[in-house]
Amino acid sequence: MAAEFLGYRREDGQVGVRNHLLVLSTGGLTGQTARRIGAMLAGAIVVVLPHSSGLIGRDLELQRRAIAGLATHPNVGAAVLVGDNPVVMAQARADIAPSGRPFASFTLDECGHDALTLTDRALREGAKLARQISRQRREAAPVAALGIGLECGRSDPSSGLIANPLLGLVADWLVDAGGRAIIGETLEWLGAEHLLASRARSPEVAAAISGAVLERERIAIAAGLDLTGSNPGPTNIAAGLSSIEEKSLGNIAKSGSRPIEGLVQYGEAPPGPGLWTMDASAYAPKSLTGFVVAGAQMLLFTTGVGNPYVSALSPTIKLSANPVTAAAFRDQLDFDASPAFRGDDTLEATGAALRERILAVASGEATWGEILKEGDEVLSRFGPAL
Amino acid sequence: MTTDAIRLSPDDNVATVLRAVGAGESLRVRCADAVTEVRAQEAIPLCHKVSLSPIDPGTAVVKYGQKIGEALEPIAAGRHVHVHNMRSARARTAP
Repeated sequence: MAAEFLGYRREDGQVGVRNHLLVLSTGGLTGQTARRIGAMLAGAIVVVLPHSSGLIGRDLELQRRAIAGLATHPNVGAAVLVGDNPVVMAQARADIAPSGRPFASFTLDECGHDALTLTDRALREGAKLARQISRQRREAAPVAALGIGLECGRSDPSSGLIANPLLGLVADWLVDAGGRAIIGETLEWLGAEHLLASRARSPEVAAAISGAVLERERIAIAAGLDLTGSNPGPTNIAAGLSSIEEKSLGNIAKSGSRPIEGLVQYGEAPPGPGLWTMDASAYAPKSLTGFVVAGAQMLLFTTGVGNPYVSALSPTIKLSANPVTAAAFRDQLDFDASPAFRGDDTLEATGAALRERILAVASGEATWGEILKEGDEVLSRFGPAL
Repeated sequence: MTTDAIRLSPDDNVATVLRAVGAGESLRVRCADAVTEVRAQEAIPLCHKVSLSPIDPGTAVVKYGQKIGEALEPIAAGRHVHVHNMRSARARTAP
Protein backbone atom coordinates (compact mmCIF):
# COMPACT_ATOMS: atom_id res chain seq x y z
CA MET A 1 0.00 0.00 0.00
CA ALA A 2 1.22 3.49 -0.80
CA ALA A 3 2.42 5.49 2.20
CA GLU A 4 -0.13 7.80 3.78
CA PHE A 5 -0.31 10.44 6.48
CA LEU A 6 -3.17 12.07 8.36
CA GLY A 7 -3.68 15.63 7.20
CA TYR A 8 -6.20 18.44 6.91
CA ARG A 9 -7.96 18.59 3.56
CA ARG A 10 -8.49 22.12 2.24
CA GLU A 11 -11.22 23.34 -0.10
CA ASP A 12 -8.61 24.12 -2.78
CA GLY A 13 -7.36 20.51 -2.81
CA GLN A 14 -4.23 21.07 -0.74
CA VAL A 15 -3.57 18.99 2.36
CA GLY A 16 -2.12 20.53 5.50
CA VAL A 17 -0.01 18.77 8.11
CA ARG A 18 -1.00 21.40 10.68
CA ASN A 19 -4.17 23.44 11.23
CA HIS A 20 -2.76 26.80 12.24
CA LEU A 21 -4.58 30.04 12.84
CA LEU A 22 -2.26 32.53 11.14
CA VAL A 23 -2.15 36.15 12.27
CA LEU A 24 -0.41 37.96 9.42
CA SER A 25 0.65 41.57 9.38
CA THR A 26 1.06 42.72 5.78
CA GLY A 27 3.57 45.37 6.89
CA GLY A 28 5.77 46.33 9.79
CA LEU A 29 3.53 49.18 10.87
CA THR A 30 0.91 46.80 12.31
CA GLY A 31 3.44 44.22 13.46
CA GLN A 32 2.88 44.82 17.16
CA THR A 33 -0.88 44.74 16.63
CA ALA A 34 -0.48 41.28 15.06
CA ARG A 35 1.73 40.12 17.93
CA ARG A 36 -0.79 41.44 20.48
CA ILE A 37 -3.62 39.58 18.76
CA GLY A 38 -1.51 36.42 18.43
CA ALA A 39 -0.64 36.48 22.13
CA MET A 40 -4.35 36.49 22.99
CA LEU A 41 -5.37 33.59 20.75
CA ALA A 42 -4.37 30.07 21.79
CA GLY A 43 -2.07 28.39 19.29
CA ALA A 44 -1.98 31.31 16.85
CA ILE A 45 1.10 31.70 14.63
CA VAL A 46 2.15 35.33 14.08
CA VAL A 47 4.02 36.38 10.94
CA VAL A 48 5.02 39.99 10.37
CA LEU A 49 6.18 41.04 6.91
CA PRO A 50 8.51 43.94 7.68
CA HIS A 51 8.10 46.01 4.49
CA SER A 52 5.09 47.35 2.62
CA SER A 53 4.52 50.81 1.14
CA GLY A 54 7.26 51.86 -1.26
CA LEU A 55 8.17 48.38 -2.48
CA ILE A 56 8.75 48.21 -6.22
CA GLY A 57 9.39 45.66 -8.93
CA ARG A 58 10.45 42.23 -7.77
CA ASP A 59 9.93 43.08 -4.09
CA LEU A 60 6.39 44.27 -4.75
CA GLU A 61 5.61 41.04 -6.62
CA LEU A 62 7.11 39.02 -3.81
CA GLN A 63 5.07 40.90 -1.20
CA ARG A 64 1.85 39.97 -3.00
CA ARG A 65 2.98 36.37 -3.48
CA ALA A 66 4.02 36.09 0.18
CA ILE A 67 0.74 37.43 1.59
CA ALA A 68 -1.35 35.12 -0.57
CA GLY A 69 1.05 32.18 -0.18
CA LEU A 70 1.10 32.42 3.62
CA ALA A 71 -2.63 33.05 4.07
CA THR A 72 -3.55 30.10 1.83
CA HIS A 73 -0.69 27.85 2.93
CA PRO A 74 -1.91 24.25 3.33
CA ASN A 75 -0.95 24.30 7.03
CA VAL A 76 -3.13 27.37 7.64
CA GLY A 77 -6.69 26.53 8.63
CA ALA A 78 -7.68 30.18 8.77
CA ALA A 79 -5.97 33.54 8.67
CA VAL A 80 -6.40 36.94 10.26
CA LEU A 81 -4.75 39.73 8.27
CA VAL A 82 -3.97 43.16 9.61
CA GLY A 83 -2.26 45.95 7.72
CA ASP A 84 -1.88 49.64 7.07
CA ASN A 85 -2.28 49.76 3.30
CA PRO A 86 -5.81 49.50 1.83
CA VAL A 87 -4.50 48.79 -1.68
CA VAL A 88 -2.30 45.93 -0.48
CA MET A 89 -5.19 44.53 1.58
CA ALA A 90 -7.66 44.76 -1.32
CA GLN A 91 -5.23 42.78 -3.46
CA ALA A 92 -4.74 40.24 -0.66
CA ARG A 93 -8.50 39.72 -0.30
CA ALA A 94 -8.84 39.15 -4.04
CA ASP A 95 -5.91 36.72 -4.05
CA ILE A 96 -7.06 34.68 -1.02
CA ALA A 97 -10.80 34.46 -1.77
CA PRO A 98 -10.61 31.85 -4.60
CA SER A 99 -8.95 29.34 -2.23
CA GLY A 100 -12.04 29.20 -0.03
CA ARG A 101 -9.80 29.46 3.03
CA PRO A 102 -11.59 31.18 5.93
CA PHE A 103 -10.01 34.56 6.69
CA ALA A 104 -10.70 37.95 8.19
CA SER A 105 -8.85 41.12 7.26
CA PHE A 106 -8.71 44.63 8.63
CA THR A 107 -6.78 47.77 7.83
CA LEU A 108 -6.04 50.66 10.12
CA ASP A 109 -8.06 52.83 7.74
CA GLU A 110 -11.16 50.75 8.41
CA CYS A 111 -10.64 51.13 12.16
CA GLY A 112 -10.43 54.90 12.39
CA HIS A 113 -6.62 54.64 12.23
CA ASP A 114 -6.80 53.27 15.77
CA ALA A 115 -4.53 50.31 16.49
CA LEU A 116 -6.57 49.34 19.55
CA THR A 117 -9.78 49.24 17.53
CA LEU A 118 -7.91 47.14 14.96
CA THR A 119 -6.78 44.84 17.76
CA ASP A 120 -10.30 44.51 19.13
CA ARG A 121 -11.97 43.74 15.80
CA ALA A 122 -9.28 41.36 14.57
CA LEU A 123 -9.16 39.58 17.91
CA ARG A 124 -12.91 38.95 17.96
CA GLU A 125 -12.93 37.61 14.39
CA GLY A 126 -9.77 35.61 15.06
CA ALA A 127 -11.40 33.94 18.06
CA LYS A 128 -14.34 32.86 15.89
CA LEU A 129 -12.00 31.49 13.24
CA ALA A 130 -10.00 29.59 15.88
CA ARG A 131 -13.18 27.92 17.10
CA GLN A 132 -14.26 27.13 13.54
CA ILE A 133 -10.99 25.41 12.55
CA SER A 134 -10.85 23.46 15.82
CA ARG A 135 -13.74 21.40 14.45
CA GLN A 136 -11.73 20.08 11.52
CA ARG A 137 -10.32 16.53 11.77
CA ARG A 138 -7.36 14.84 10.13
CA GLU A 139 -8.02 12.41 7.26
CA ALA A 140 -5.81 9.92 5.44
CA ALA A 141 -3.92 11.48 2.53
CA PRO A 142 -1.31 10.11 0.13
CA VAL A 143 2.35 11.10 0.34
CA ALA A 144 1.83 12.58 -3.14
CA ALA A 145 0.07 15.49 -1.43
CA LEU A 146 3.28 16.49 0.36
CA GLY A 147 5.73 19.18 -0.67
CA ILE A 148 8.98 19.10 1.28
CA GLY A 149 11.72 21.74 1.32
CA LEU A 150 15.27 20.46 1.82
CA GLU A 151 17.67 22.66 3.75
CA CYS A 152 21.10 22.51 5.35
CA GLY A 153 22.57 25.03 7.75
CA ARG A 154 25.68 25.47 9.84
CA SER A 155 26.92 22.54 7.83
CA ASP A 156 30.05 20.51 8.34
CA PRO A 157 31.53 17.67 6.29
CA SER A 158 29.21 15.17 8.01
CA SER A 159 26.33 16.98 6.28
CA GLY A 160 27.68 16.17 2.82
CA LEU A 161 28.83 12.72 3.85
CA ILE A 162 25.65 11.37 5.50
CA ALA A 163 22.86 13.81 6.43
CA ASN A 164 22.38 15.40 3.01
CA PRO A 165 22.59 12.08 1.09
CA LEU A 166 19.93 10.86 3.53
CA LEU A 167 17.68 13.73 2.44
CA GLY A 168 18.50 12.71 -1.13
CA LEU A 169 17.02 9.27 -0.44
CA VAL A 170 13.90 10.94 0.98
CA ALA A 171 13.68 13.25 -2.04
CA ASP A 172 13.82 10.25 -4.41
CA TRP A 173 11.11 8.47 -2.40
CA LEU A 174 8.88 11.55 -2.36
CA VAL A 175 9.33 12.22 -6.07
CA ASP A 176 8.63 8.57 -6.94
CA ALA A 177 5.46 8.76 -4.84
CA GLY A 178 4.24 11.79 -6.82
CA GLY A 179 5.07 14.48 -4.28
CA ARG A 180 7.18 17.63 -4.59
CA ALA A 181 10.72 18.09 -3.30
CA ILE A 182 12.58 21.37 -3.55
CA ILE A 183 16.10 22.61 -2.88
CA GLY A 184 17.26 26.25 -2.78
CA GLU A 185 20.40 28.06 -1.53
CA THR A 186 21.64 28.91 -5.05
CA LEU A 187 25.11 30.07 -4.03
CA GLU A 188 25.68 26.63 -2.53
CA TRP A 189 25.38 25.02 -5.95
CA LEU A 190 28.54 26.89 -7.02
CA GLY A 191 31.12 24.30 -8.03
CA ALA A 192 28.45 21.62 -8.31
CA GLU A 193 26.15 23.35 -10.78
CA HIS A 194 27.26 21.09 -13.65
CA LEU A 195 25.97 18.07 -11.71
CA LEU A 196 22.55 19.70 -11.16
CA ALA A 197 22.39 20.92 -14.76
CA SER A 198 23.14 17.40 -16.03
CA ARG A 199 19.96 16.20 -14.30
CA ALA A 200 17.74 18.97 -15.72
CA ARG A 201 14.57 17.89 -17.51
CA SER A 202 15.44 20.08 -20.53
CA PRO A 203 18.33 22.17 -21.88
CA GLU A 204 16.36 25.30 -20.87
CA VAL A 205 16.17 24.14 -17.27
CA ALA A 206 19.90 23.31 -17.30
CA ALA A 207 20.67 26.79 -18.62
CA ALA A 208 18.43 28.39 -15.99
CA ILE A 209 20.21 26.53 -13.16
CA SER A 210 23.70 27.36 -14.46
CA GLY A 211 22.68 30.95 -15.11
CA ALA A 212 21.33 31.42 -11.58
CA VAL A 213 24.59 30.13 -10.09
CA LEU A 214 26.80 32.25 -12.36
CA GLU A 215 24.74 35.31 -11.45
CA ARG A 216 25.43 34.71 -7.74
CA GLU A 217 29.14 34.23 -8.55
CA ARG A 218 29.08 37.51 -10.51
CA ILE A 219 27.48 39.31 -7.56
CA ALA A 220 30.16 37.97 -5.21
CA ILE A 221 32.96 39.07 -7.53
CA ALA A 222 31.36 42.49 -8.11
CA ALA A 223 31.11 42.95 -4.34
CA GLY A 224 34.82 42.19 -4.03
CA LEU A 225 33.89 39.49 -1.56
CA ASP A 226 36.15 36.52 -0.85
CA LEU A 227 33.67 33.68 -0.50
CA THR A 228 36.01 31.80 1.82
CA GLY A 229 35.05 33.30 5.17
CA SER A 230 31.64 34.35 3.87
CA ASN A 231 30.40 31.10 2.34
CA PRO A 232 31.73 28.80 3.68
CA GLY A 233 31.43 31.00 6.76
CA PRO A 234 33.59 30.87 9.88
CA THR A 235 31.39 28.19 11.47
CA ASN A 236 31.65 25.95 8.39
CA ILE A 237 35.41 26.48 8.15
CA ALA A 238 36.02 25.65 11.81
CA ALA A 239 34.02 22.48 11.24
CA GLY A 240 36.19 21.42 8.28
CA LEU A 241 34.68 22.82 5.07
CA SER A 242 37.46 24.46 3.02
CA SER A 243 35.74 25.96 -0.04
CA ILE A 244 32.36 26.78 -1.59
CA GLU A 245 32.89 23.88 -4.01
CA GLU A 246 33.23 21.41 -1.16
CA LYS A 247 30.19 22.85 0.60
CA SER A 248 28.13 22.82 -2.60
CA LEU A 249 28.98 19.24 -3.48
CA GLY A 250 27.70 18.27 -0.05
CA ASN A 251 24.68 20.55 -0.31
CA ILE A 252 23.34 19.17 -3.58
CA ALA A 253 23.37 15.62 -2.19
CA LYS A 254 20.03 16.68 -0.65
CA SER A 255 18.51 16.64 -4.13
CA GLY A 256 18.86 12.89 -4.56
CA SER A 257 19.08 11.47 -8.05
CA ARG A 258 15.84 12.22 -9.92
CA PRO A 259 15.46 14.64 -12.85
CA ILE A 260 15.10 18.34 -12.01
CA GLU A 261 11.82 19.69 -13.40
CA GLY A 262 12.68 23.36 -13.30
CA LEU A 263 13.98 26.42 -11.51
CA VAL A 264 11.34 28.49 -9.71
CA GLN A 265 11.80 32.02 -8.42
CA TYR A 266 11.94 32.80 -4.71
CA GLY A 267 8.62 31.89 -3.08
CA GLU A 268 7.15 30.67 -6.36
CA ALA A 269 5.14 27.44 -6.09
CA PRO A 270 6.42 24.59 -8.28
CA PRO A 271 3.82 24.12 -11.03
CA GLY A 272 3.80 20.33 -10.76
CA PRO A 273 5.11 17.27 -8.92
CA GLY A 274 8.74 16.15 -8.93
CA LEU A 275 12.06 17.63 -7.91
CA TRP A 276 12.51 21.42 -8.19
CA THR A 277 15.18 24.03 -7.60
CA MET A 278 14.46 27.50 -6.18
CA ASP A 279 16.74 30.46 -6.90
CA ALA A 280 17.11 31.74 -3.36
CA SER A 281 19.33 33.03 -0.60
CA ALA A 282 21.48 30.50 1.23
CA TYR A 283 20.59 32.08 4.60
CA ALA A 284 18.34 29.52 6.29
CA PRO A 285 15.60 31.88 7.58
CA LYS A 286 15.08 33.37 4.12
CA SER A 287 15.48 30.04 2.35
CA LEU A 288 12.91 28.25 4.53
CA THR A 289 10.34 31.04 4.13
CA GLY A 290 10.86 30.80 0.37
CA PHE A 291 9.85 27.14 0.54
CA VAL A 292 6.92 27.93 2.83
CA VAL A 293 5.55 30.71 0.61
CA ALA A 294 5.86 28.21 -2.26
CA GLY A 295 3.57 25.86 -0.32
CA ALA A 296 5.92 23.31 1.27
CA GLN A 297 4.08 21.73 4.22
CA MET A 298 7.22 20.26 5.76
CA LEU A 299 10.92 21.01 5.86
CA LEU A 300 13.91 18.73 6.43
CA PHE A 301 16.87 20.60 7.81
CA THR A 302 20.32 19.04 8.26
CA THR A 303 22.97 20.63 10.42
CA GLY A 304 26.59 19.88 11.11
CA VAL A 305 27.34 21.72 14.33
CA GLY A 306 23.80 22.77 15.37
CA ASN A 307 21.24 25.26 14.09
CA PRO A 308 18.13 26.25 16.07
CA TYR A 309 16.14 27.86 13.24
CA VAL A 310 12.82 26.38 12.06
CA SER A 311 9.79 27.62 10.14
CA ALA A 312 6.79 28.87 12.08
CA LEU A 313 4.25 27.43 9.64
CA SER A 314 5.85 24.22 8.39
CA PRO A 315 7.15 21.63 10.85
CA THR A 316 10.89 21.39 10.39
CA ILE A 317 12.61 18.10 11.11
CA LYS A 318 16.13 18.87 12.27
CA LEU A 319 18.78 16.20 11.91
CA SER A 320 22.53 15.75 12.15
CA ALA A 321 25.00 12.98 11.41
CA ASN A 322 27.80 14.54 13.44
CA PRO A 323 28.15 12.31 16.54
CA VAL A 324 29.27 15.21 18.76
CA THR A 325 26.30 17.36 17.68
CA ALA A 326 23.85 14.47 17.96
CA ALA A 327 24.97 13.84 21.55
CA ALA A 328 24.90 17.54 22.49
CA PHE A 329 21.43 18.32 21.09
CA ARG A 330 19.31 15.32 22.06
CA ASP A 331 16.41 17.63 22.99
CA GLN A 332 16.69 19.81 19.88
CA LEU A 333 17.45 17.40 17.04
CA ASP A 334 14.46 15.43 15.80
CA PHE A 335 16.47 12.70 14.12
CA ASP A 336 19.87 11.22 14.94
CA ALA A 337 21.74 10.17 11.80
CA SER A 338 25.04 9.63 13.61
CA PRO A 339 24.78 5.80 13.64
CA ALA A 340 25.13 5.97 9.84
CA PHE A 341 28.16 8.26 10.24
CA ARG A 342 29.81 5.76 12.59
CA GLY A 343 29.00 2.90 10.23
CA ASP A 344 26.67 1.27 12.77
CA ASP A 345 23.72 1.62 10.41
CA THR A 346 23.33 1.78 6.62
CA LEU A 347 22.18 4.91 4.84
CA GLU A 348 19.23 2.96 3.42
CA ALA A 349 18.03 1.75 6.84
CA THR A 350 18.48 5.25 8.27
CA GLY A 351 16.50 6.66 5.34
CA ALA A 352 13.65 4.24 6.02
CA ALA A 353 13.56 5.35 9.67
CA LEU A 354 13.56 9.00 8.60
CA ARG A 355 10.62 8.38 6.25
CA GLU A 356 8.65 6.93 9.18
CA ARG A 357 9.45 10.01 11.23
CA ILE A 358 8.33 12.28 8.38
CA LEU A 359 4.96 10.52 8.21
CA ALA A 360 4.60 10.73 12.00
CA VAL A 361 5.33 14.47 12.03
CA ALA A 362 3.07 15.00 9.01
CA SER A 363 0.32 13.27 11.00
CA GLY A 364 0.74 15.50 14.03
CA GLU A 365 3.82 14.49 16.05
CA ALA A 366 5.45 17.72 17.28
CA THR A 367 9.01 18.61 16.35
CA TRP A 368 11.37 20.02 18.97
CA GLY A 369 11.32 23.32 17.08
CA GLU A 370 7.52 23.49 17.46
CA ILE A 371 7.65 22.58 21.15
CA LEU A 372 10.40 25.10 21.87
CA LYS A 373 8.74 27.81 19.72
CA GLU A 374 11.83 28.39 17.58
CA GLY A 375 9.67 29.08 14.51
CA ASP A 376 9.78 32.28 12.51
CA GLU A 377 9.32 33.46 8.91
CA VAL A 378 11.82 35.80 7.24
CA LEU A 379 11.10 37.05 3.74
CA SER A 380 13.91 37.95 1.34
CA ARG A 381 14.28 41.50 0.06
CA PHE A 382 15.95 42.15 -3.29
CA GLY A 383 16.32 45.77 -4.33
CA PRO A 384 15.81 49.38 -3.36
CA ALA A 385 12.40 50.78 -2.46
CA LEU A 386 10.82 54.19 -2.75
CA MET B 1 37.57 -3.44 11.42
CA THR B 2 36.99 0.21 12.17
CA THR B 3 37.20 2.85 9.49
CA ASP B 4 39.07 6.05 10.36
CA ALA B 5 38.43 8.02 7.19
CA ILE B 6 36.12 7.96 4.15
CA ARG B 7 37.27 8.49 0.58
CA LEU B 8 34.09 9.28 -1.36
CA SER B 9 35.45 8.51 -4.84
CA PRO B 10 38.47 6.57 -6.13
CA ASP B 11 39.44 9.84 -7.89
CA ASP B 12 39.74 11.70 -4.58
CA ASN B 13 43.14 12.77 -3.23
CA VAL B 14 41.67 13.62 0.19
CA ALA B 15 39.58 11.66 2.70
CA THR B 16 37.34 12.84 5.58
CA VAL B 17 38.37 11.63 9.03
CA LEU B 18 35.55 10.13 11.09
CA ARG B 19 37.20 10.95 14.42
CA ALA B 20 39.82 13.38 15.65
CA VAL B 21 43.21 11.81 14.87
CA GLY B 22 46.66 12.49 16.28
CA ALA B 23 50.02 12.95 14.56
CA GLY B 24 51.65 9.66 13.62
CA GLU B 25 48.47 7.59 13.70
CA SER B 26 47.96 5.09 10.90
CA LEU B 27 44.49 5.61 9.38
CA ARG B 28 42.34 3.01 7.69
CA VAL B 29 40.74 4.80 4.73
CA ARG B 30 37.67 3.18 3.22
CA CYS B 31 36.48 3.79 -0.36
CA ALA B 32 33.40 1.64 -1.03
CA ASP B 33 34.74 -1.86 -0.26
CA ALA B 34 38.43 -1.01 -0.63
CA VAL B 35 40.56 -0.08 2.37
CA THR B 36 43.95 1.66 2.18
CA GLU B 37 46.18 3.13 4.85
CA VAL B 38 47.76 6.53 5.30
CA ARG B 39 49.84 7.84 8.22
CA ALA B 40 48.65 11.19 9.63
CA GLN B 41 51.55 13.67 9.65
CA GLU B 42 49.76 15.97 12.08
CA ALA B 43 46.63 16.17 14.23
CA ILE B 44 43.42 16.35 12.17
CA PRO B 45 40.07 17.37 13.77
CA LEU B 46 36.86 15.38 13.35
CA CYS B 47 35.38 15.68 9.83
CA HIS B 48 38.42 17.54 8.43
CA LYS B 49 40.39 16.28 5.41
CA VAL B 50 43.61 14.24 5.18
CA SER B 51 45.62 14.08 1.95
CA LEU B 52 46.06 10.59 0.51
CA SER B 53 48.80 11.37 -2.00
CA PRO B 54 51.13 14.32 -2.70
CA ILE B 55 49.31 17.33 -4.20
CA ASP B 56 51.34 19.88 -6.20
CA PRO B 57 50.75 23.62 -5.80
CA GLY B 58 48.07 24.91 -8.18
CA THR B 59 46.65 21.43 -8.82
CA ALA B 60 43.21 20.23 -7.88
CA VAL B 61 42.15 19.04 -4.48
CA VAL B 62 39.57 16.36 -5.32
CA LYS B 63 36.66 15.19 -3.13
CA TYR B 64 33.32 13.66 -4.25
CA GLY B 65 35.28 12.91 -7.47
CA GLN B 66 35.14 16.68 -8.12
CA LYS B 67 37.55 19.58 -7.84
CA ILE B 68 36.93 21.43 -4.57
CA GLY B 69 39.82 23.90 -4.96
CA GLU B 70 43.54 24.17 -5.56
CA ALA B 71 46.60 23.49 -3.42
CA LEU B 72 48.46 26.64 -2.30
CA GLU B 73 51.67 24.78 -1.49
CA PRO B 74 53.09 21.27 -1.90
CA ILE B 75 50.93 18.98 0.24
CA ALA B 76 52.46 15.63 1.22
CA ALA B 77 50.34 12.54 1.93
CA GLY B 78 48.94 12.45 5.45
CA ARG B 79 48.67 16.21 5.86
CA HIS B 80 45.68 18.18 7.13
CA VAL B 81 44.13 19.80 4.03
CA HIS B 82 42.17 22.96 4.79
CA VAL B 83 42.06 26.72 4.16
CA HIS B 84 45.74 27.12 5.17
CA ASN B 85 46.99 25.05 2.22
CA MET B 86 44.14 25.08 -0.33
CA ARG B 87 41.66 27.60 -1.70
CA SER B 88 38.50 27.77 -3.77
CA ALA B 89 38.89 28.18 -7.53
CA ARG B 90 35.55 29.99 -7.86
CA ALA B 91 34.39 33.60 -7.42
CA ARG B 92 38.01 34.71 -7.44
CA THR B 93 38.28 38.44 -6.77
CA ALA B 94 42.09 38.46 -6.68
CA PRO B 95 44.69 36.20 -8.35
